[in-house]
Amino acid sequence: MGDEVRTNLKYTDSHEWLKLEGNIAKVGITDHAQSELTDIVFVELPAVGKEVKKGDELCVVESVKSVSEIYAPVSGKVTNINKKLEDAPETVNESPYDQGWLVEIELKNKSEIDKLLTADAYKKII
Amino acid sequence: MAKRSPLFEIQKKLRARFIEFAGFEMPIQYSSIKEEHLAVRKSVGIFDVSHMSNVWIEGDDAEKLISLTTVEDASKIADKKGQYTEILKEDGTIIDDTIFMHLEDKFMMIPNAGMDNIVTDWLNKKAEEHSLCATAENVSKDYVILAVQGPKSKDTLQKLTDTDLQSVGFFGCQYIKVADVDCIISHTGYTGELGFELQITPAKKAEMVFNKILEAGKEYDIKPIGLGARDTLRLEKGFILAGNEFKGGRTPLEATLGWTIKWDHDFIGKEALLKQKEKGDFDRLTNMICIDKGIPRHDCIIQKDGKKIGIVTSGTLSPCLNVGIAIGYVKPEYREIDSTLEIMVRDKLIKARVVKPPIVPKDWKEKN
Repeated sequence: MGDEVRTNLKYTDSHEWLKLEGNIAKVGITDHAQSELTDIVFVELPAVGKEVKKGDELCVVESVKSVSEIYAPVSGKVTNINKKLEDAPETVNESPYDQGWLVEIELKNKSEIDKLLTADAYKKII
Repeated sequence: MAKRSPLFEIQKKLRARFIEFAGFEMPIQYSSIKEEHLAVRKSVGIFDVSHMSNVWIEGDDAEKLISLTTVEDASKIADKKGQYTEILKEDGTIIDDTIFMHLEDKFMMIPNAGMDNIVTDWLNKKAEEHSLCATAENVSKDYVILAVQGPKSKDTLQKLTDTDLQSVGFFGCQYIKVADVDCIISHTGYTGELGFELQITPAKKAEMVFNKILEAGKEYDIKPIGLGARDTLRLEKGFILAGNEFKGGRTPLEATLGWTIKWDHDFIGKEALLKQKEKGDFDRLTNMICIDKGIPRHDCIIQKDGKKIGIVTSGTLSPCLNVGIAIGYVKPEYREIDSTLEIMVRDKLIKARVVKPPIVPKDWKEKN
């Protein structure tokens, strides 16, 4: 546990991942990030419909001792949030790339995707 | 550069993650704060707390010096007894909270991390000002301090000593051999559980003691514990932390430590406390359990009906209760037990209930 990087995803240097499905980007935090945070005990999600710009604060993830902001990797509208995390925040630790996703964002500017890190580039910074 | 405990290398081998705390690079956690926390509540854990300070107080007037500089009347503390107390400035605010131990003809004081020089200098200055024949010596770097805490702490340590630990009463202290090494043991701790603390010198012998304790505790699934769980364990019991609860000048009355003040002796800060007590209108430390989801943190504002009535000094998720808990200073008229307050966490107001400490009751383990 702790360093899985999936080749089909895009990454940021602040340890978010993004999975593109048509015009919708699913966003979460990486395995490396969840393992650094340990014991995630609270996730604050944005309201559905919220417009975010790339780099804006998107969610807050708290461990017992720390509070971490998660930033929007792309600009767009929040179309869906992972409500399950409100009652089971530990899902982010257990399944960071699958069950523990955070939000879905409808892309405003598809070209932003090209500026994200590839799996290989992300591996080099962790 | 931060100081390191003599146990740094062994902690690294145990896969500790380190943080800097009060000038020391200490383990924040080994496995997970939650896991470590529950190990101490349910069985036993071992902490290296060598960042805490050690000061010997000696001389014919050693007892008088302690009575003068703390809220305790040291003449009431017999040999082989320890006491929790506070050292105050003339204005009644806390310089440090500490435990001192009466060991034959001298006293050992355990000030907080990074407070060793401040407390030693203060004690020596006051001895001189009051012509007392007593000296304080900072010996912090010569000692490793281990805390063994949890319901199985006594069973663990008993395997390593011939001294019957039953004879070391609550807040008792004495010289002892643990794993054939000379130590000072005290029946004290910062977790609210059964527990002991060991002062070990020379420090190089501590690694062996640490390993022997881990071995002795194996059958109870003993875990090494970092400062993360140390903080959540103390917060669940409403114990104060220097730097959080009395940062910026708080008195023992504000910190709800009135029970530690022995009013029938003279001590530095007494007059100021008497005045404050008479006025009675001061904010007091208040324990809270969150009703809504969310985790209060240091410096969050406490409100009632839109009005600011206090400030959080420590907050966390309680690993035992699985909800947010906090302690903070609240205006006296708003802190009745069971009343509801609101804590501003980022941009949300979270409802919290005022509770009597300890936030997590003594019988939590039996019920869980």
